[in-house]
Amino acid sequence: MNDSAGKKEVHVGAALKPLLDVNAIGISFGGLKAVQEFSLQLPTAGLFGLIGPNGAGKTTVFNLLTGVYEPDCGEIHLGSKRLAKRKPHQITAAGIARTFQNIRLFPDLSVLDNVRLAGQLHNRHGLWSTLIRSRGHQREEMLLQEKALDLLQIFDLQDRAHELASNLSYGHQRKLEIVRALATDPKVLLLDEPAAGLNPQEKMTLAQSIRKIRDRFQVAVLLIEHDMPLVMEICERILVLDHGVTICRGTPKEVQNDQSVIAAYLGTGLTDE
Amino acid sequence: MDNTPPASQIGAKPRGASRAEGEIAWNTIRGMMPFAAGIAFAVLLQFFLTGMVGLYYSRIVTDIGIAIVLAVSLNIVNGMTGQFSIGHAGFMTLGGYMAAFITYYGSMCIWGDKEIHGGFLGSGEWLFAVSCIMGGLFAAGAGYVVGLPSLRLRGDYLAIVTLGFGEIIRVLLQQTGKLIDSWAEVKAAVNGAIKEPLKDGVWSELIPPPVGGSIGFDGVPKYTSLFWVYTILTITIVVAYRLKISSIGRAMISVREDEIAAQAMGVNIARQKVLAFVIAAFFAGVAGGLFAHEPGVIVSPKDAGFQRSFDYVIMTVLGGRGSISGVMLSATILTALPEFLRDFEQYRLIVYALLLIVMMLVRPQGLLGIHEIWNLWPLRRGKVPVVAPEAKS
Repeated sequence: MNDSAGKKEVHVGAALKPLLDVNAIGISFGGLKAVQEFSLQLPTAGLFGLIGPNGAGKTTVFNLLTGVYEPDCGEIHLGSKRLAKRKPHQITAAGIARTFQNIRLFPDLSVLDNVRLAGQLHNRHGLWSTLIRSRGHQREEMLLQEKALDLLQIFDLQDRAHELASNLSYGHQRKLEIVRALATDPKVLLLDEPAAGLNPQEKMTLAQSIRKIRDRFQVAVLLIEHDMPLVMEICERILVLDHGVTICRGTPKEVQNDQSVIAAYLGTGLTDE
Repeated sequence: MDNTPPASQIGAKPRGASRAEGEIAWNTIRGMMPFAAGIAFAVLLQFFLTGMVGLYYSRIVTDIGIAIVLAVSLNIVNGMTGQFSIGHAGFMTLGGYMAAFITYYGSMCIWGDKEIHGGFLGSGEWLFAVSCIMGGLFAAGAGYVVGLPSLRLRGDYLAIVTLGFGEIIRVLLQQTGKLIDSWAEVKAAVNGAIKEPLKDGVWSELIPPPVGGSIGFDGVPKYTSLFWVYTILTITIVVAYRLKISSIGRAMISVREDEIAAQAMGVNIARQKVLAFVIAAFFAGVAGGLFAHEPGVIVSPKDAGFQRSFDYVIMTVLGGRGSISGVMLSATILTALPEFLRDFEQYRLIVYALLLIVMMLVRPQGLLGIHEIWNLWPLRRGKVPVVAPEAKS
């Protein structure tokens, strides 16, 4: 089953050289093989989903891709850059940005500062320019501020720009996490359960804005989500993880009808024995 | 449009570009203002304060200035990056000894004695200024070394390392040799050592360095004046404030708030932590130079101990983490208070402790929390602030 799915992937990937090429990465914690042989070919502006039951290793995959964990084996390429074993901030600079399952904003910074912080990673002016307020430094800070305000405007957060991030409502905090990740100018955006805790109305808007982000910023999106209708609606392709193993990959329709996926989520019936 | 991600174009569009350029030019001129104002203030203090309030109170004002430099610089580490350093007095004393070493022996070398030379801004004072900067650089080097463990340790563990650093400095300084009194003796000792480097006991006067041992570095020319203290205070505050409102400061604050998220947003947290330690140690070292040359003070090994470090930690905690004006306020109060409680000298520490306990119960975020005093000013609320002015809860 893995093999046939792999062939299909090659077929799709052959048309377009993948932007993010993950080749058989794996990691184990002691005796627990958290993720094994995980492969993924994400094209530019692709919108892929990563699903699986609780504890399947989805967030671990994100942590491997962003350098929080170092993979035991395998290769990660973004364009022509090798990313495995790089530091998290280097990977972000290379073009992979993420959001967190449990929101990790900087609570005591303003909304604007949260976005500006993410936008400043390509800054060239260092300590000395900052202290003497050189022209270059001032220009950089001005551009940064405009860029951050523009981004906030796109997501309708501009009125909250000067509020502390911790004072935002839950839905707005989730949104701000996405804005902040976008401010790093990513090529690949990893969203870890962006719909968690949102009401149906907010989920609708989220689905639209994820599409909007993909089209407008031309980023590839990899989405972890438990909300099946949302995933099935917006994702082009879906990977299913269970116990760290990729059990299925394909279009939403294929995944929905796959026996192993149904078994992973619902268990196998007694009659099968 | 299709090849380049529009995300990178955001903000790049010219929006009143010429207006922005004009603003930048104006800002560059305005950037000099705080220095000019600070130095003018320092000159005023220098020439008029002693005449107005007398020597005793002007000494207190000097002490307050030095305490503010130390507390504000410590706040870059403890407040902005959220590392917990309780070895700040170690950096101060290290810088102080270095500066004192330069003026003491430098003075002997140049003029043949250890008296004060030149008046206000005279030659002696420039030697003193250079020595303070050297003391700062020396302390900054130590700050780099102490900053390295902060990459692996956090919270209590880092606190213990920095505490240990201060104690190590104290013990090392106690083991130093006695001062050499005249330049002729210094020359004799150095020449003797160079001529026959392998002879027994020939290095004994030079190694360990002759900086006074456990009784302290006595006889340093007393150059510290209100002018120098408040000039350096100005520089410290401007540097701390510019750091705070810039990208570098934001990166430091993000390390305090959430290291994992900071990394994910492209912040090199190792760099930010070490940078904070180095900058803070530099200003501590400069303040140490001021302290060592203050009239009536003999810088001694016990100054590096944890007692003094704690004083500065308390100032930053009371002032509010990352709040420059809050820390200035608390440093002023905590330096002046013991002087006014002089009649109850023995209760001083009790008052300190009680104050801390009450503050932690009533206002755990410190006097001003993360805010600056000018952000609380109602007229500024409409403007674009750097840290959100809305009071939290």
